[in-house]
Amino acid sequence: MDKQQEYVLRSVEERDIRFIRLWFTDVLGILKSVAIAPAELENAFSEGIGFDGSAVEGLTRVYEADMLAKPDPSTFQILPWRGAEHGVARMFCDISTPDGEPALSDPRQVLKRNLDRASDLGFTFYTHPEIEFYLLEKPQPGELPKPVDKAGYFDNVPRGTAHNFRREAITMLESMGISVEFSHHEAGPGQNEIDLRYADALTMADNIMTFRTVIKEVALEQGVFASFMPKPLADGPGSGMHTHMSLFEGDRNAFYEAGADHQLSPVARQFMAGLLQYAPEISAITNQYVNSYKRLWGGAEAPSFVCWGSNNRSALVRIPIHKPGKGQSTRVEYRAMDSAANPYLAFSVLLSAGLKGIEEGLELPDGAEDDVWNLSPAERKAMGYQALPSSLSQAIEVMERSELVAETLGERVFDFVLRNKRAEWQAYRAQVTPYELEQYLPVL
Amino acid sequence: MSSREVSLATRLRRAGVSDTERALSLIQQIEHVAGVGLEDPALAVSYLADPETGLLQLLRLAEAARDSGHLEDLVALRDRRAGARLGVLLGASVALGDFLVRHPEYIADFDAWPEDDALGTVDQRRVLLEAVGADPDADVPVASMAGSDGVAAMRVAYRRQLMRVAAVDLFEDVPATVFPAVAAVLADLAGAALEAGLAIARADEPDHALTRLAIIGMGKCGARELNYVSDVDVIFAAEPAEGAEDDVSLKIATRLAAAASRACDRPGPEPALWQVDANLRPEGKDGALVRGIGSHQAYYERWAQTWEFQALLKARPIAGDPEVGQHYLDAMSPLVWNAVERDGFVESAQAMRRRVEEHVPAHEQERQIKLGPGGLRDVEFTIQLLQLVHGRHDPSLRSRTTLDALAALRRGGYVGRPDAAKMDRSYRQLRVWEHRLQLRKLQRTHLMPVDDADKRVLARASGFATVEYMEEVWHDIRRDVRAMHLEMFYRPLLPVMASLSADEARLDDAAARDRLAAVGFDDPQAALRHITALTEGVSRRAAIQRQLLPAMIGWFAQGADPDSGLLAFRKLSEQLKDAQWYLKLLRDSGSAAERLARLLSTSVYVTDALLASAEDVTWLGDTAALSPRAPERLAREADAILTRSDDADQCITALRGLRRRELARTAAADVLGIIDSVQAAASVSTAADVLIAGALRIASAVVAREEGMDDLPIEFIVVAMGRYGGSEMSYTSDADVQFVFDGDHPDAASLAVKVAKRIQRLLKQVNPQPALEIDADLRPEGRNGPLARSLASSTEYYERWSDPWEAQALLRARPCAGSPELLERFTAMIDAVRYPAELPASALKQMRTLKARMESERLPRGVDPRRHLKLGPGGLSDVEWTVQLLQLQHAHRVEALRTTRTREALHAAVSAELISAEDAAELDEAWVLATDLRGALALRGRERTPDVLPGDTRELKVLAEIMNVRDTGAELLDRHGRATRHARAVTERVFFGWESGT
Repeated sequence: MDKQQEYVLRSVEERDIRFIRLWFTDVLGILKSVAIAPAELENAFSEGIGFDGSAVEGLTRVYEADMLAKPDPSTFQILPWRGAEHGVARMFCDISTPDGEPALSDPRQVLKRNLDRASDLGFTFYTHPEIEFYLLEKPQPGELPKPVDKAGYFDNVPRGTAHNFRREAITMLESMGISVEFSHHEAGPGQNEIDLRYADALTMADNIMTFRTVIKEVALEQGVFASFMPKPLADGPGSGMHTHMSLFEGDRNAFYEAGADHQLSPVARQFMAGLLQYAPEISAITNQYVNSYKRLWGGAEAPSFVCWGSNNRSALVRIPIHKPGKGQSTRVEYRAMDSAANPYLAFSVLLSAGLKGIEEGLELPDGAEDDVWNLSPAERKAMGYQALPSSLSQAIEVMERSELVAETLGERVFDFVLRNKRAEWQAYRAQVTPYELEQYLPVL
Repeated sequence: MSSREVSLATRLRRAGVSDTERALSLIQQIEHVAGVGLEDPALAVSYLADPETGLLQLLRLAEAARDSGHLEDLVALRDRRAGARLGVLLGASVALGDFLVRHPEYIADFDAWPEDDALGTVDQRRVLLEAVGADPDADVPVASMAGSDGVAAMRVAYRRQLMRVAAVDLFEDVPATVFPAVAAVLADLAGAALEAGLAIARADEPDHALTRLAIIGMGKCGARELNYVSDVDVIFAAEPAEGAEDDVSLKIATRLAAAASRACDRPGPEPALWQVDANLRPEGKDGALVRGIGSHQAYYERWAQTWEFQALLKARPIAGDPEVGQHYLDAMSPLVWNAVERDGFVESAQAMRRRVEEHVPAHEQERQIKLGPGGLRDVEFTIQLLQLVHGRHDPSLRSRTTLDALAALRRGGYVGRPDAAKMDRSYRQLRVWEHRLQLRKLQRTHLMPVDDADKRVLARASGFATVEYMEEVWHDIRRDVRAMHLEMFYRPLLPVMASLSADEARLDDAAARDRLAAVGFDDPQAALRHITALTEGVSRRAAIQRQLLPAMIGWFAQGADPDSGLLAFRKLSEQLKDAQWYLKLLRDSGSAAERLARLLSTSVYVTDALLASAEDVTWLGDTAALSPRAPERLAREADAILTRSDDADQCITALRGLRRRELARTAAADVLGIIDSVQAAASVSTAADVLIAGALRIASAVVAREEGMDDLPIEFIVVAMGRYGGSEMSYTSDADVQFVFDGDHPDAASLAVKVAKRIQRLLKQVNPQPALEIDADLRPEGRNGPLARSLASSTEYYERWSDPWEAQALLRARPCAGSPELLERFTAMIDAVRYPAELPASALKQMRTLKARMESERLPRGVDPRRHLKLGPGGLSDVEWTVQLLQLQHAHRVEALRTTRTREALHAAVSAELISAEDAAELDEAWVLATDLRGALALRGRERTPDVLPGDTRELKVLAEIMNVRDTGAELLDRHGRATRHARAVTERVFFGWESGT
């Protein structure tokens, strides 16, 4: 029993915790949970809790698989919305096979493995996401979603639900050790954005999982409903998760080079080149739902074309303006990802695409200065701006042939994701939508 | 020349001087410079490791002393013990001689030291701190000499002390006795140097009081068994002083730590001491140089790897704030002993050791005192491993120092007294050589010299009369150390009754169980019972097994399933208890025992085969005997069996026995990595060929006799089909065949069917030797057709009726027994069918449809298709159908494609540019991997059909071991996933003709 585990055991006793939730994530990024009593905790640390590991395979699971969930004591947190008395706590788990090898199907292990790979190259990977989501009135069956307010970008709504909501949510996040950098009202009615303070990618992925749960819980407490759906309103902006990334070599930001163009080091340029090169193949991971492509191709500021720019809001990869003397904060922002992505897998493929760029020494193409949306298709073609996949089906097709994604996720997870996504596309294609009925029924 | 000089030259030569003329001249010059004569120079130089260098250094020293006004000090040493010390030092260490020449003022030191100077009498810390003007009694000593002056002063003081240690060490008659004290003082001296370095650093750091920095010695320095010259491994830990901010404290501590290191290892006018190496810290060279204790702890709890805990075993505060150092130690030591309980701790420690060994360049292997086989690292590793296994229950073993730990292990009864003594002696001797080598030029080296002159110096310095004798001892030590690892680890597991002598260590049950469990036995209790059964008693058998068993337990432990291995060994030994050759083989052969252990602990198939016929164990001593026998040789043997006897039962039993034997031989060679799975499959197919040919001969004779005929009036052949036809049979496959005959006799057809049925019966009937199942379903019309068909009828059938898939099946038809003339005619007939001039589009479509249907229908229910080696996507069937399609399309034109073997056809297709080399490589990789896996599954012998990959990663790991690859179970699964995905993509493109992957 190590110190951290002892600390957890002690806290559980002192704080009179009645249940411990062991959290893990399936390949789709849905949070799963096994609750255990404090008495089982010691055993969970030493041996792990046995369960049917096929739960991580998403919706298309077929075969049962014995697996062990071993809680990571460093992620111990008391769940604040469960009250102070007889509380409930949670820990994230690593899933392993019965002989203690990391389970290849566990998204958290996928990210760990890729971070190890980065660490072999001397890099630590930091991320900082801007998470957008909608606050809606409680959904009624058959009705369109109704936002809680009609405000816009950075609007301050006096006594607004959103205002209270954000204050409450941030307090709760901070109490769970998740630092919030920034929060404001977003462009869409009822749309909010909360930026988490940067952290190493594994911690951040854990944080995002916690974040989604906290947001949903707080919304419920306030009688509203929060959703991370990429595009809930046909005529409102979608919810993205722009992600800022940087690589550190020890204490040094490897993306920074004083005096270079945009203060970007060769490593940063190659990393970006990798992101651009592989953006289409990783789409089915960063934008994993049928609905994701309605955001990506819904105009507004969504990045649909593969290009980069500094402070260009239509570019896929953006370099935030550099503040003098802030070399450590040099970073690149990937703008395609949406709030419904599985953060473990999405961070894995982003990192992997970037590292590939470094390993292969890819050249960064010229930056884009125009608003790419305003260019004609011929202009875009001439300038070499590739489009991202326009539908989930296309994204799957591109990913299927991607060695990079297969390598990054491992053959198992790669297979599971493909199965899930194919099934999702099949189910979607089988729908007859209100749009079709409205358009065709009367005239055909 | 006077008579005195003549005799002096002779005496010098006897004392080991090779160039006497030069030596005489040096002596003359020394006497001239010093102004006094040397007392008996020949006797004096006889004590020197390197007489010429010693004399030259003395001359340089005398000159330096003269020039600096210290000549009196030097002359005063003449003809005294102190003088002899100086001489020995000059003869053994050029570097320390140079130091004295640089600083002749320290010649007087030799006079100042007590006559019977001993080690460990000096407070090194005090001396070095005072040298830089710091107060040793202060809580936080700060140097009054800062910067490069301080550094130089510290280094000079260090070398003065080093000189004193070396002088005592070198003057000692039996250096191995003082070695532990020497190594301890060297470690203290290194600590003192860092302490003084830190005092110098503080002088330049006004805010040093805000932090409390401790320097933790690791490795040999931490263990107080340091070399004269080696990197000093350290870790820095700092806590903020009261009221100070954490990050401010860390910043200052980092500067202090870097400056203290620089004081020791930066080049300067007074040369650097040694490299300070802080790479053992958390996250290695990428990690922060200094961390707080909490941060250290968090790292070890979360991230640290096995070897990092092993390294912590040696941690000891050596400089800086003693309280913080102690806190660090208190926080870390429990972690070490917790880590030991991790699964696979011992295994990963052993793997690490192997990796280190593999990194030693081959040309250095034989000369490496430290890392080579039988070197220092072997001793340290053996002792550390035992410490780790037993230390968690027995705190008395938790010593940092190698020799102390060894002594504790001996006292605790974990290691036998004679083994411990041998190990102790070996370790000391190796270290003495290392020290003497390093002392010469104060260089970090662990290599035995190559040059004869250098060897001579080393022999003289370490008390050996001749180089030859030294080398003999060196070889003995290496051999002993190598052998002792297994002995020390496993010998004490033997029960007390089995001890070879009263001095043997014997573990109590709990300790024995610990040790067995640590190396991977699941049921240590049962293992102990087997060990007892094997070794108890006064029989010769028990006596030999007592000799063998310690090493064998080690080998079982390396196998996948140590428990079954040991049990099988017990069974085998009981079965062979009267066989003299068996134990003799295991004892005397260099490889048999190890091979046996590997086979028994990995393969159920081979274990069963060996238990069924224990005499096959003899092959294990002889690699040639394990190689597959040539087909002609087997055919001759079968012929001899059939010629010897007319009795059908006797003959078929002998032939079936022959096949069983060849299967066992092949399987053993396969597991041991002597042949690969493709060769193994060919060899298994050959054994079937020989058996079936023999069965045909017997069947023909029996049927003829029953019918009252001399000879059967028909010609008859057996045609191998399917994987058997391709010589790709696995150990457990059935033999796919069809029977063909020719003859005008009116009863020809019924006779032929009788022969065919008789063959099946001979191969299947109950018999002590294993059966071979015959499957004739691939014949024309399948089960509805006659069991044996005439050539004419076959010809007609194939010309008129057959489906494309039957032509495809014929691609694998390989006539394997019977009338040579009919074989030829049959082959000519089917060639026209299977190598058609053109493959019609309809046939192509039919093939593709059939394959697609097979994929959905033939897979057993409830099996994950991706795990199915034959029928899953990218499995054997994908590759084979793709290759067969190319054969059907092109073999008419490309003769090289006319083969029944998949890989041959694939290679021919590449040469004929029918498929790209890349695509072919993907197919080949997937096919070979699937073949390897099927072979491994059959050898493992756990599953009934070797077609489905197990889901359990532990079982997969065993397969990897049988395949002789280094993958973990998960890695193997991943590799299989990748290979099949690629092969599937090629199949979809080449066989199905689809453009994209959907």
